[in-house]
Amino acid sequence: MRTSLTRAAVVAAACLLAAACTGTTAPADDGDSGGDGAQSLRYLIEEQEDAEANKELEKHLGEFTQETGIEVELETLPLDAMRTVLQTQLRSGEGPDVFAWGSGPSFGGALAEAGLVKDLTAAYEENDWQVYDFAKERVTVDGKVYGLPGEAETIGLFYNKDIFAELGLEEPKSLEDLQAASEAVKAAGKTPMAVGNKEGWEGGHLLSMALSSAVGGEGMQALLDGEKSWTSPEVVQALTLWQDFNKKGYLPKSPTSVDYDTSTSLFYSGEAAMIPTGSWLVAEIEDNTDFEVGYIPFPGPDGPGIFTGGLGSGPYVSATTKNEEEAIQFIDFLASPEHGKWVVENLATIPPMEVETEGLDVSPLFKQVLEDTAELSSGGDFGLNIDVLVSDAFNEAMWDGVQGVLTGQRTPQEVAQALEAEQA
Amino acid sequence: MTRKAQARLGVLLVVPLLLLVGIFLVFPMINAVYYVFVDFNGINPAPPWVGLANFTELAQDPDVWAAFSNNIIWIVLGTVGPIVLGLALALLLWHVERGSVFYRVAFFLPYILPQVAVGVVWGWIYEPSRGWLNKVLETVGLGGLTTGWLGNPDTALYAVLATAVWVTLGFVFVILLSALKGVDMDIVDAARLDGANGWQRLVHIVLPQIMPVFLMVTTITLLGGFSVFDIIFVMTGGGPAGASEVLGTLAYSSAFQLNRISYGTALALVITLLAIPFAVWLNRLQRRVSLEGTS
Repeated sequence: MRTSLTRAAVVAAACLLAAACTGTTAPADDGDSGGDGAQSLRYLIEEQEDAEANKELEKHLGEFTQETGIEVELETLPLDAMRTVLQTQLRSGEGPDVFAWGSGPSFGGALAEAGLVKDLTAAYEENDWQVYDFAKERVTVDGKVYGLPGEAETIGLFYNKDIFAELGLEEPKSLEDLQAASEAVKAAGKTPMAVGNKEGWEGGHLLSMALSSAVGGEGMQALLDGEKSWTSPEVVQALTLWQDFNKKGYLPKSPTSVDYDTSTSLFYSGEAAMIPTGSWLVAEIEDNTDFEVGYIPFPGPDGPGIFTGGLGSGPYVSATTKNEEEAIQFIDFLASPEHGKWVVENLATIPPMEVETEGLDVSPLFKQVLEDTAELSSGGDFGLNIDVLVSDAFNEAMWDGVQGVLTGQRTPQEVAQALEAEQA
Repeated sequence: MTRKAQARLGVLLVVPLLLLVGIFLVFPMINAVYYVFVDFNGINPAPPWVGLANFTELAQDPDVWAAFSNNIIWIVLGTVGPIVLGLALALLLWHVERGSVFYRVAFFLPYILPQVAVGVVWGWIYEPSRGWLNKVLETVGLGGLTTGWLGNPDTALYAVLATAVWVTLGFVFVILLSALKGVDMDIVDAARLDGANGWQRLVHIVLPQIMPVFLMVTTITLLGGFSVFDIIFVMTGGGPAGASEVLGTLAYSSAFQLNRISYGTALALVITLLAIPFAVWLNRLQRRVSLEGTS
């Protein structure tokens, strides 16, 4: 009896394990996808780090309801959960009417190819939505535009101006300057750069910024298009750069043990003088620091380098929505310059369209970030953030690769070869 | 109540559970078996049939073998560690009356804490610059041993394992302690009078009496080594660069990060298939020992 019980338990465990990986559970859905004339829309977004931001957003969506009479039910999910649930929801026809998702081939692009999102090309023309060209390209598949691009993000190097002033250091204008500054900070008993790479994804940004400043925007595009090999010397050098910085003690001890939040707190507390990361951190930096902060591109081998550009999550319309007209009206609201201004002032993120910075109620640091982005978008050279433009398998090879380079598990050459293999 | 009415009531009571088992166990199981023979990426509604390709790829995947060897380390150390330490602790506190409830609660507590919370807190302890493990080592003059415990490929798996041993230890301790309470002290005393030393009394008198319970505890900890996932996922995510990857975390990342649902499902099935012989063998052993004890 007991044997058969154990067998049953083992079989049950087998079922559970196997079922756990198929991800075919029906979506939890207590909403109503409309079609009942109630004029309500379900809007699904990623859970925001700042709970206050959600409340602000709900208030702001209330303005849309007042204008149009269309209710917007805001739903949030953690990013990881969204990854697994979104596709199932969209496929079952029980999904949200509008949802925010990454702007790039491996995010919105994959959904567009699977026919899960509406083609918005005509709506763009009718409503004259103005977004940056480079951003629009990221939500375009086979000439059709499927969504509104997400917020623009740049990746570069934040530095503590007070520490730099104390040590008599200038803003680094080349890799040589950066190394000299790092040596000086290290000699003063502080950590030069707050780099945490425990989660792995930070490695993609480290590689993107060092590589972008070395090969420029065109070089990055050539790498991503497969016209230039990932085993090129520049890629190996960019990986070697982080390996050297780690060996020389410019990074915290064992950066692969340090998570992103710890790395940012090292910078906020003044224990580290610089942090290489993205413009999404501006609001948090301002909340948590009482020193002046500068933001520069990650320096290149021959000069000041370029900012790396990327896009966050933007709205798409579900292909199975029964409220297409209302959904388009809602997108029109999200594409409006007024919404852009609201985003800038309340969420401290950069909308994918030009925003008049005169008279805006924002900090000098954020104003600088906004102006840099506008400059990049009007023809300036900018690098590319790799992780949103490549496949998941490439990302895994890159994230594991940078960790491996920092721990000595892999050589830069091996990682470059692994990247090339995934590109092919 | 007539026998027939009783039978009808029985069926009625069982039906809800049968339905639940059918919906949440049998159907997903059949579904899972289908998915290992196709190449499902989570999007394509009609995934192509690939036969045994997922399994042949799995057999040739170096990541799978690396993860499997980590599972073996986990199974051996994660079973031996808590069993040896739990038994030692139970023997130490066997005859302790004062404060015994306190000891039982204190050691059992980690076992009932959510693994995610345990993982997060131990992550802080292991943190290289602010965690107290390195601080303690530095204070006692062992600064040379400090490292980034979870980010160093040589220590990551063992650091997580140490946490898991700490968690499981309390469970093993409490179960073995209650088994020890049932040991016939007359036989132990008789052995002592006959000149048996402590080790001989443990091996020949005490352990045989608690063997069924001992084997039950071993079965649970050992099988846990095959399916381990949560604590590794929380503490290292299988990193750095796969250094602490086990089959469970690899199945997860294949299925949900790389969207290779079929490959992940195949891995999950393999984990289960590997665990079944051990479960059956240990269960038979336990049954035999129990029967011997009663004869």
